[in-house]
Amino acid sequence: MLSVSSLTKTFPGARALDGVDFAARPGEVHALIGENGAGKSTLIKVLTGVYQPDEGEIVFGGEPVRFATPLAAQHAGISTIYQEVNLVPLMSVARNLFLGREPRGRLGLIDFRRMHREADAALRSLGLRIDVRRPLRELGVGAQQMVALARAVSVDARVVVMDEPTSSLEPREVRTLFGVIRMLKERGIAVVYVSHRLDELYEVCDTVTVLRDGKLVHTGRIADLDRLRLVSLMLGREMSEVRSEGLTKFSGDHEAGGEPVLDARELTVRHVLHEVSVQLRPGEVVGLGGLLGSGRSETAKAIAGALPPDSGTVVVAGAAVRTGSTPAAIRAGISLLPEDRKAEGIVPGLSVRENIALAALPGLSRFGLVDDARVDRIVDTFIKRLRIKTSGPYQKVGELSGGNQQKVLLARWLAMRPKVLLLDEPTRGIDVGAKAEVQRLIDELADEGLGVLLISSDMEELIEGSDRVVVLKDGAVVAELTGDDVTEDRLLHAIAAEGGDHD
Amino acid sequence: MSALRPGAAPRWGNAMTSSAVRRTATRTLLATTLVASIALTGCAKSEDDGANDKNTGSTGDSGQVVATPAAGNAETCTVEKFGGKKLDLKSATVGFSQSEKEANPFRIAETASIKAEAGNRGVKLLTANAQSQFSKQISDVQDLIAKGADLLVIAPLNSDGWGPVLRGAAAKHIPIVTIDRKINATACKDYVSFIGSDFVEQGKRAADQMIEATGGKGKVAILLGAAGNNVTTERTKGFKDQIKAKAPGLQVVFEQTGEFAREKGQQVTEQLIQSNPGITGIYAENDEMGLGAVNALKGAGKKAGDVKIVTIDGTRNAVQGIVDGWIDGVIESNPRFGPLAFQTLDTFTKGEKVSQNIVIQDSAYTGKNAKSGLGKAY
Amino acid sequence: MTDLALRRAPADRERMLGLLQDYGVYAGVTVLILANIAFTPHFVSAENFRTQAVQVAPVLIVALGMALAIGSEGVDLSVGSVMALATSLVSLYLGYGPWIALIVAMLGGAAVGLASGSLIAHIGVQPIVATLALMVAVRGIALVMLPQLKDVRDPGMATLGSGDLLGIPYLVLIAAALALLVGFTVRRTTFGRQLLAIGDSRPAAQLAGLPVRRVLILVYICSGVLAAIAGVLATARLQASDPTSLGNLMELSAITAVVVGGTPLSGGRIRVGGTVAGAVLIQLLTATLIKHDLPPSWTQIAQAVVIVLAVYAARERGKR
Repeated sequence: MLSVSSLTKTFPGARALDGVDFAARPGEVHALIGENGAGKSTLIKVLTGVYQPDEGEIVFGGEPVRFATPLAAQHAGISTIYQEVNLVPLMSVARNLFLGREPRGRLGLIDFRRMHREADAALRSLGLRIDVRRPLRELGVGAQQMVALARAVSVDARVVVMDEPTSSLEPREVRTLFGVIRMLKERGIAVVYVSHRLDELYEVCDTVTVLRDGKLVHTGRIADLDRLRLVSLMLGREMSEVRSEGLTKFSGDHEAGGEPVLDARELTVRHVLHEVSVQLRPGEVVGLGGLLGSGRSETAKAIAGALPPDSGTVVVAGAAVRTGSTPAAIRAGISLLPEDRKAEGIVPGLSVRENIALAALPGLSRFGLVDDARVDRIVDTFIKRLRIKTSGPYQKVGELSGGNQQKVLLARWLAMRPKVLLLDEPTRGIDVGAKAEVQRLIDELADEGLGVLLISSDMEELIEGSDRVVVLKDGAVVAELTGDDVTEDRLLHAIAAEGGDHD
Repeated sequence: MSALRPGAAPRWGNAMTSSAVRRTATRTLLATTLVASIALTGCAKSEDDGANDKNTGSTGDSGQVVATPAAGNAETCTVEKFGGKKLDLKSATVGFSQSEKEANPFRIAETASIKAEAGNRGVKLLTANAQSQFSKQISDVQDLIAKGADLLVIAPLNSDGWGPVLRGAAAKHIPIVTIDRKINATACKDYVSFIGSDFVEQGKRAADQMIEATGGKGKVAILLGAAGNNVTTERTKGFKDQIKAKAPGLQVVFEQTGEFAREKGQQVTEQLIQSNPGITGIYAENDEMGLGAVNALKGAGKKAGDVKIVTIDGTRNAVQGIVDGWIDGVIESNPRFGPLAFQTLDTFTKGEKVSQNIVIQDSAYTGKNAKSGLGKAY
Repeated sequence: MTDLALRRAPADRERMLGLLQDYGVYAGVTVLILANIAFTPHFVSAENFRTQAVQVAPVLIVALGMALAIGSEGVDLSVGSVMALATSLVSLYLGYGPWIALIVAMLGGAAVGLASGSLIAHIGVQPIVATLALMVAVRGIALVMLPQLKDVRDPGMATLGSGDLLGIPYLVLIAAALALLVGFTVRRTTFGRQLLAIGDSRPAAQLAGLPVRRVLILVYICSGVLAAIAGVLATARLQASDPTSLGNLMELSAITAVVVGGTPLSGGRIRVGGTVAGAVLIQLLTATLIKHDLPPSWTQIAQAVVIVLAVYAARERGKR
């Protein structure tokens, strides 16, 4: 259906793709995996007309083609769903679904009734019940993603490319998505599926292509490849090493003791949190479990002063902290690594150096003048200690890979010498190698006596990384798992308890 | 501009707008307003406080009769033709709608002249100022009518767009005299007459003065008014036509806009005297640009009289410039419409003929009469 | 002069656009100077350079403040009106001597900046709306204070406007000193770096605990004070306070200088050297067209072309 051969694409300083062959066949779900920087995104962008290849051939439906623009690729029948939803937030769901190909009535005006009817039908066929007249931005991220999917599918696509489609979906929505993917398969559509989540790959994909450093390292049936082999192909490491290290880099237990370093009590935010209490002792990693929308991120933000609570108190090392003020929380020693790394974490246009020094700047200044020598020392220390891969301290953070961006953010907070570290999805969207490094770092930091609050939708990470897990549901604490109870099974049971109908 | 440390000043929460933040903001705004009002009313002390302020604009001699009265062969208008009623001006109410804020000498003198003449004749006067907004002027005029004005004097901001108001006034047979700018409507039907200066004629007279000052030979620069303004077009046309006709030895080598502002006039002249060091004369289409040109010449080390300057308007500052020797001639654009406007209304309401187009007489200042005319300049 | 983010070499086309954005303004200034040397009589003279430098000084000072506002992902449309306010205040307070008058004018500019900054930082009004409101209001206040043009006869003001030190006009010296000061502020102070971070990503800056509101308010205060200084200097040069026309359309010239100088409208980056060159470029462009007596509308068209080029380079490069 769609195939490329000997594809090469070079950016200044980096060869993103180096003689790659790839083929998507009708009725097949093809997994495309690799670490960040392996060339997945570049390959997708070449397939969908965003980039032009330097060398190599693209064959679509038996004929060599070249897509000058994403629109050309779309018209040819290649649809893409990106990690970030790229629709028009202010327009209605139906307008978004039919953007650029609205059904026209007489006089060339948009036939709204027909559009709304067809939009409703398209969403229903995906198991969604949404008022298609509502502006898209009023929907949750998951629902927006489903609208994007509906749009991609309704464009008589022959190839559908999905770039980490599940990263912001709830489990229930993931099931719906997989249902849709199987439906596409039956219709004979070729699906290219990019994800970091191994479970998903084995569940839904037929074939797999592994890229590493811009080169093709493996392609074949996914059933013939066990998980460890897959991981070792991606990482380019020996099997034994991977096995001995396990899939996460957590050591498991920490020496936690003494008085709580963080004592958050009965935090309440109308409609969002209901009397949520969390305690952290020095050296302890506490996980926050729960589904998307259960109030995990909101709890972290309320503690960090970014979400003003209606009531409740936060005490750090015995001293009360004024709630609702980020600077106050930071001065008290609370640091938050936000969930949305790109929008709320990094300052993309500034350098690695500026990003690391950002929060600590007032402390590194005298009379309002920055002490550049001290900044350099701290930046160098953290680049080395956290093994941040960068061409130098003056490289723009926006140009780093996700894992290294995350390390820069960690460095920003560690430079503040925090007492409490709140980590919201610290390993989301970063490659396996960097993930392991970040996990190891979290361990180290806890060993040094920090209190760590860990939020992760990667259940394995949450279970292996945490000493205790506080389980949230609908903005309230429903269970706390300690000791031997910290298992996936227990967590699932806690979440699923009372058979709740969760939206 | 110093940087701030987090401990140095009151802290503001980083959270979304809460009522506390609103209060802080309101307080800040109040404080700002306070500062502003202190500056406004407080302890200001300008340079010439204590001395007699000469610039109040009320010293113009309102008694002068400045008019080219109705020429015999021009089109005229009468109450019968217009379709109204005779009345006695003394017992009538006159409404005056001014177009721009009284922020420049011309407008100040214009409004003062109307008010003074109304006072002299004992006529009840209602006034309004449109602050340069045409929509406001339209509603101003409607208000004046509603408040009981029997007659209207309008200094229009625009020539166009008067249809609805004029129809409303015509229905009530309210005679209107427009001053200083003509409107696009039918005289003696939509309004009675227009009183104004002849800008082409002003340009011609400026050319005459330039010819006299330069001896009819040399290179002349024009500082144009604002682009797209009829005053600019007409003052330029008159000047150039007259130069062409009377002094072929004078050459216009430079035409750039100074936008009727002193600063612009100064900047353009600075460029001019460097690219054309041999320039003989500068014709500025208003006094302000001419005064800017004087600034520029002084800054470049020129002496009074090195470059001949002729300007139009007749403000006190420009006439003083003649006395000081920097300016050679100023053509007046007479803003004192009061006597003529009321005379026209008086004649009209008595049932006699008035001309549809009345040209106000503009005087001129030169080295001969500048000193004595200084008191007359506005 | 100030460019915190050293950039890694991007793709060829992008690199060209990047070069155009970063250095196009210097190339433009060079080309204009060379063309003028070749085609404009009497261009190479001390008087001419002095004229251009003196004329550009107030615009440059306003543009420096504008660069700070734009770097914080905002804009300050009130600058022209602040100049008018400053000129009115100078006239009203000159009785106390030029220094007091200057300080009062700067306080006036600071007050306007405090007002617009508060609207933006505390109430969340968009910068373009907040400063537009102040642009209208402040021009009104200036005209209430001084309803018409008034001559300034103070000898101190005369010296400031036309005097010089070692052959360099005071106006030019002051503008140069302020450019260095702003460059230093952006590069070396906590305030400058926090300002860039806020301009690049306000949510991130907020979560990093930066005093976002205070920095934003300070940005507009700086812009107001700089505009007020420019207003005082323009008054000194004109030897008159003219609140009706002083500073008209100044916001456009300042924004043009900043954008043409390579500072992106999306914030997070301030090029002070580029802003200086941008102001000079516009000045030279205007001067060239005036000296050759081309129709004034050409100046506007030429400026528009330069702006379009600058914005095009910035936009195309931002695509990635």
